[in-house]
Amino acid sequence: MKKILVIDDEAIVRMSCERALASEGCEVKTAESGNVGINMLENEPFNLILLDMKMPGMDGLEVLKIVKKRWAETKVIIVTGYSTDQTAAETLKLGACDFIEKPFTPDTLAASVAEALKK
Amino acid sequence: MKRLYFRAEESIKAKLIIAIGLLIIVGSSVFWYAILHKQKTDIMSIAVRYAVSFTDYIKERTRYNMLNLHSSDIQKTLEDISLAKGVERVRIFNHAGKISYSSSKEDIGKPVDKDSLACKGCHTEINKSPLLLPEQQKWGFYKDSEGFTALKFVEPIYNETACYTSECHVHRKEEKILGFIAADMSLALLDEAQFKQGLALTGYVFIFIIAISISLVIILYKIVSKPVSELAHGMKMVAEGNLDYSVKVFSRDEIGLLAEAFNSMTKDIKASRHKMEEWTRTLEEEVARKTEEIRKTHASLVQTEKLASLGRMAAGVAHEINNPLTGVVTFAHLLLKRVPPDSEDAQDINVIIEQADRCAIIIKNLLMFARASATEKGEVNVNDVLNKAVFMLKNQEKFYNIKFKIDQHPSPLMTFGDFSQFQQIFLNMLINAADAMNERGTISVATRKIVENAKPYAEIEFTDTGCGIKKEDMSKLFEPFFTTKPAEKGTGLGLSVSHGIVAQYGGNIKVESKEGEGTSFFVRLPLKED
Ligand code: HEC
Ligand SMILES: Nc1ncnc2c1ncn2[C@@H]1O[C@H](COP(=O)(O)OP(=O)(O)OP(=O)(O)O)[C@@H](O)[C@H]1O
Ligand SMILES: [Mg+2]
Repeated sequence: MKKILVIDDEAIVRMSCERALASEGCEVKTAESGNVGINMLENEPFNLILLDMKMPGMDGLEVLKIVKKRWAETKVIIVTGYSTDQTAAETLKLGACDFIEKPFTPDTLAASVAEALKK
Repeated sequence: MKRLYFRAEESIKAKLIIAIGLLIIVGSSVFWYAILHKQKTDIMSIAVRYAVSFTDYIKERTRYNMLNLHSSDIQKTLEDISLAKGVERVRIFNHAGKISYSSSKEDIGKPVDKDSLACKGCHTEINKSPLLLPEQQKWGFYKDSEGFTALKFVEPIYNETACYTSECHVHRKEEKILGFIAADMSLALLDEAQFKQGLALTGYVFIFIIAISISLVIILYKIVSKPVSELAHGMKMVAEGNLDYSVKVFSRDEIGLLAEAFNSMTKDIKASRHKMEEWTRTLEEEVARKTEEIRKTHASLVQTEKLASLGRMAAGVAHEINNPLTGVVTFAHLLLKRVPPDSEDAQDINVIIEQADRCAIIIKNLLMFARASATEKGEVNVNDVLNKAVFMLKNQEKFYNIKFKIDQHPSPLMTFGDFSQFQQIFLNMLINAADAMNERGTISVATRKIVENAKPYAEIEFTDTGCGIKKEDMSKLFEPFFTTKPAEKGTGLGLSVSHGIVAQYGGNIKVESKEGEGTSFFVRLPLKED
């Protein structure tokens, strides 16, 4: 069973991810901020992180850098409501494996996650 | 000024009159004197001629009487002759100056006045050997006791053979001159006539002078004074600002030419004043135009600022809306999976999903255009941007039936800004054109260098042959959310955001459109000056 961590300040987004991935047979945990997410990562390993870009406190880019430094094997998919070609390119360069725009459908999310976990 | 001028003019007239008057007076005086003199000499020569014939007669008579020894007859003849009018006295005296015969008897035997013509007509000095004048002066004039002119005539009686061979033996052969006949004649009558004539002449000269003076004044008034005062009046009128006044031209002389020159000068002044007024007016218009331009620029700056803040707000809102929208989409999809397909519930859920998708598109557009922050500014070649935009659209379904006609400026058109922002503007222009032509036809794109208000710009022209824009819509084109397109096709943000971006870099967008014929958009971006 793959373990997935959703880091997003919006409860509805966390819920949506949980529900969308539940049917895919994954264990989904959520964190409402970057700090909480990193704490959870320290306690247990995760296969994949769905990371929001724009959050109060630590933002997505910072979390991504820390994760890639400390848990290099953990995959990261960026989920954002606000993207440009540049930010997308930048996050991919920093080690994110995909880039999903909000709003997404459960199918696109599942497909992207499956793709990422396959690698 | 006026007084001064008139005094000068008066003095010109006075000077002329005095000068010409003096000339006339001097001239006529000379004339008057010459006439009088000529008259006098004429009269005198007549008198002299008369005296000559007179003495000739006496001489003849004397000679006859002498030779016939009738000396008493000589005396008689002299007395008779002296009775004639104008003859005062006639005397005969010898070379020694002793009077032998005289019309007045008491003179006989007395000596003549040796200082008079009687001797001085031939001698300068009267002594033993007196000097002789080359020629005898026979006659002379003098004033008689009554103050009238008198003529004295002295005629010598020369010695002849008959005289010294005569029986009386009075004269010797050696004597050259036997004696003299001297006649005194009064010219009183002539004097009187001359006086009368002189008087008449003076009168004539006076009348002449007066007539000449009067005509001179009239002529001066006509040819100098009147035109000059007319000219002065004209100058006064012009100086007071009446440029329509034109001086009457009386003649073709210098004053006439002056008047003409003055008139044409007035006309010139009028023309240049007219020109100046024209300039002032155009200047005012120019100022008004510039003021309006500044007002418009200011208004558009305010509009740009409004748009920018609106854009930022829209971006923030859009971003927040994406989160709840994620929930709506996700749960709608989850729900859809739980209901039997093709059931009424499934259809209803699909409506929810469609509408949520629409929201997502709107927000995407909003965000795409309102990306205020994440821009990368630098030097951009407008031609490159255009090529990329055209390349991106060419293979899209919307543009399958659209032909591009591209006419690019041969050298790079460098401007300052964000490549993807400019690309967004061009994409929107091209998509708008395709929409206007129902996705069928030719879009002409051209780039060129232009100069506007002395500054170089890159101009990008997008011309389509589409439906055109209604007049009443023209003013609303750049308003955010103005669109004539169905909801799924346009949000009405394209042009407003384009306008904001272009204005931010100091450019502008112009539109020309004819309903039913087509539309041209001109995007102008300031060229980077190298
Ligand atoms: C027409 C010109 C004439 C007049 C007028 C005249 N004389 Fe003579 N006189 C002569 C001539 C000529 C001689 C030269 C000698 C002669 O008489 O033959 C002369 C000579 C003389 C001599 C020189 C002496 C002589 O006999 O040789 C005396 C003196 C003289 N005159 C005195 C007078 C006196 C005085 C008067 C005025 C009453 C006078 N004369 C008027 C022409 C004139
Ligand atoms: N080339 C054109 N020919 C005719 N009408 C045009 C053209 N370009 C723009 N318009 C008019 O201007 C309106 C506003 O254009 P704008 O690009 O701002 O918004 P839109 O195209 O409707 O939506 P969006 O660009 O946000 O998708 C359009 O709806 C259309 O009516
Ligand atoms: Mg548009």
